[in-house]
Amino acid sequence: MLIGIVFIISVGAFYLIHLLPGDPAAVILGTGDSPQNRARLFKELGLNKPILEQYFVWIKNVLHGNLGTSFISQTSVWSTIKSALPIDVEIIVLSQILAFAVAIPTAMVSARKPDGWLDRLLGATSFTLLSIPSFVVIVLLVLFIAIKLGVPHTGVSSYVSLGQDWVVNLESLALPSFTLALGSFVVYYRVLRSDLIATLQEEYITMARSKGISQRRIMWRHAFRPSSVALLGTAGVNIGGLLAGGFIVQYLLSIPGLGYTLIQSIGLSDYLVVQGIVLVVSVGVILINFAFDLIINIVDPRISRE
Amino acid sequence: MSDATTLLVVKDLATTFQTPSGPLPAVGGVSFTLKENETLGIVGESGSGKTVLSRTIMGLQPRRNVEVTGSVLLNGFEVVGASEEAKRAIWGLEVAMVFQDPMTSLNPVMRIGKQIDEILRVRLKMDRHAAKARAIELLELVGIPSPAERYGVFPGELSGGMRQRVVIATALAGSPKLLMADEPTTGLDVTIQAQILNLLQSVKDQMSMSVVLVTHDLGVVATRTSRIIVMYAGRIVEMGTTRDVFARHRMPYTRALLEGSPKVSNPSHTRLLAIPGRPPNLLDLPQGCAFAPRCSFATDICRKERPELEPSFEDGHAFACWNPLPVSQGVPA
Ligand SMILES: Nc1ncnc2c1ncn2[C@@H]1O[C@H](COP(=O)(O)OP(=O)(O)O)[C@@H](O)[C@H]1O
Ligand code: SF4
Ligand SMILES: [Mg+2]
Repeated sequence: MLIGIVFIISVGAFYLIHLLPGDPAAVILGTGDSPQNRARLFKELGLNKPILEQYFVWIKNVLHGNLGTSFISQTSVWSTIKSALPIDVEIIVLSQILAFAVAIPTAMVSARKPDGWLDRLLGATSFTLLSIPSFVVIVLLVLFIAIKLGVPHTGVSSYVSLGQDWVVNLESLALPSFTLALGSFVVYYRVLRSDLIATLQEEYITMARSKGISQRRIMWRHAFRPSSVALLGTAGVNIGGLLAGGFIVQYLLSIPGLGYTLIQSIGLSDYLVVQGIVLVVSVGVILINFAFDLIINIVDPRISRE
Repeated sequence: MSDATTLLVVKDLATTFQTPSGPLPAVGGVSFTLKENETLGIVGESGSGKTVLSRTIMGLQPRRNVEVTGSVLLNGFEVVGASEEAKRAIWGLEVAMVFQDPMTSLNPVMRIGKQIDEILRVRLKMDRHAAKARAIELLELVGIPSPAERYGVFPGELSGGMRQRVVIATALAGSPKLLMADEPTTGLDVTIQAQILNLLQSVKDQMSMSVVLVTHDLGVVATRTSRIIVMYAGRIVEMGTTRDVFARHRMPYTRALLEGSPKVSNPSHTRLLAIPGRPPNLLDLPQGCAFAPRCSFATDICRKERPELEPSFEDGHAFACWNPLPVSQGVPA
């Protein structure tokens, strides 16, 4: 099943990138070069063969663990991915920690008194956030926070990895993480709030109440876990989406993660890099969803029993 | 029994829900007392307010859109009007509840042992090992085979009868003085029903508790209670010793209940035969006796004025009816 999905995605990615206008030879040689030179380069790169054959050459190499070498930079695709991927992972992890840390307590506050003033306030806030696209959020954040407060909003050349200097690294990733966290927060808050409200109506919550334990304990120990199945499912899909769709934020803030690299490579018709990234991202998305399915089964034993 | 101390005094208790269609008086003007070590039965058709009454006695009614008036003195503690925090102090330790449906009253994603030892750890401050040992003891007490292994299972891995035993073990964990059992066997198999009722009786004796046994099945209360309250439309319509309610009842509704019920000697599982007509709409109660539209003895006054609960003969027997049955008409127990 998983292999099937990855296969379909790899074919799709391969086909689509070849449909795009522009070709690597033009990028490497410039548009003015002679057709003879172009043909020679095409042959060198293997681009003269039929597309189906090109695909099989590529997939055979992939199955042997070789993602190929960039036409443009001549570096291996795998090493390009290896240096970009940790940035995506870090942004996603930071944004998710933030999103959950805010969404869980606020959802609990809302669910305690649905339609109370706090719930309404939170509902209105989340609705407002939901309606602002992330690129607008970024522009606003850059304008008001990064520039005013002097928080570095980084650039490709000045990017510092976590290992090099974690303070600078965190500062530069704070903005994109925060932006992604906002969107995730809204979704998580809403999903968890409504499930908590439903759970709190359950008879076992009344039973927990009849034991004389605190409201807080009822929330965390009795209501939270059975209310978190939809939350986890949503998180799996959302995190996959962030991995696949992180390019907007990365592109706007010039952070050299996978998304940024992908857009650049498309512009350069750097086929092998694009294909490699698409493949890695799709495998990543599938693994993330798979992992969340496993977590859900542990969190709610009813599901695996059915 | 008569010199035992009083554990519970309920006086003029009324519970009214604020609903979108107006106030709904689920319980009205209920007064009774319960002594230590006594078992009281509360019977009535479905919807007569038994669950609301038993929860209100504990102070466990919903927290919103409900108004409670009157008084409930539980071992000296006034439940009505008490804050949630104050009530928490008595919940689990002074009074506990066995819920009706073991399929919904246990947390499906929490291991049963954890649900039982929660009171022990949180309320009684026992350490992890002591609490676990006690929880296993409780599982054994309620008749769960291989209790140590069952400690770690989820409710979904147990049958309905086993789950209800877990619910009982949970209720017993804090050694409460009063156990409210709200239809503890409805929805269980016939043989399991008897087992659960016998279990309740034996733990009551072992732990010297008072029990309020709520049921719609008179067969259940016949042999297991010393006194019975009959409810209709949120009010007590007849009460007295079990013997009196069975043998010398005066209220036509009580008789209708009894006629629909199996004889005392029968196993306690038969549901009440439906009494002709429907229970009244609590949002729009008739002016007089709430039973009048279904009562073959109803006269004009029944439709105009509500009969109050009047003491009849000795032992606290009382009934609310304008045209009471002659004593000899009772169905012998
Ligand atoms: N939370 C509530 N809000 C509104 N009405 C309620 C609520 N709980 C119970 N009732 C109503 O109170 C009445 C008595 O219900 P209940 O005590 O459950 O009856 P019983 O337990 O005797 O079957 C019913 O008419 C029911 O609809
Ligand atoms: S008061 Fe009237 S209507 Fe009500 S039970 Fe008695 S006879 Fe029937
Ligand atoms: Mg009920």
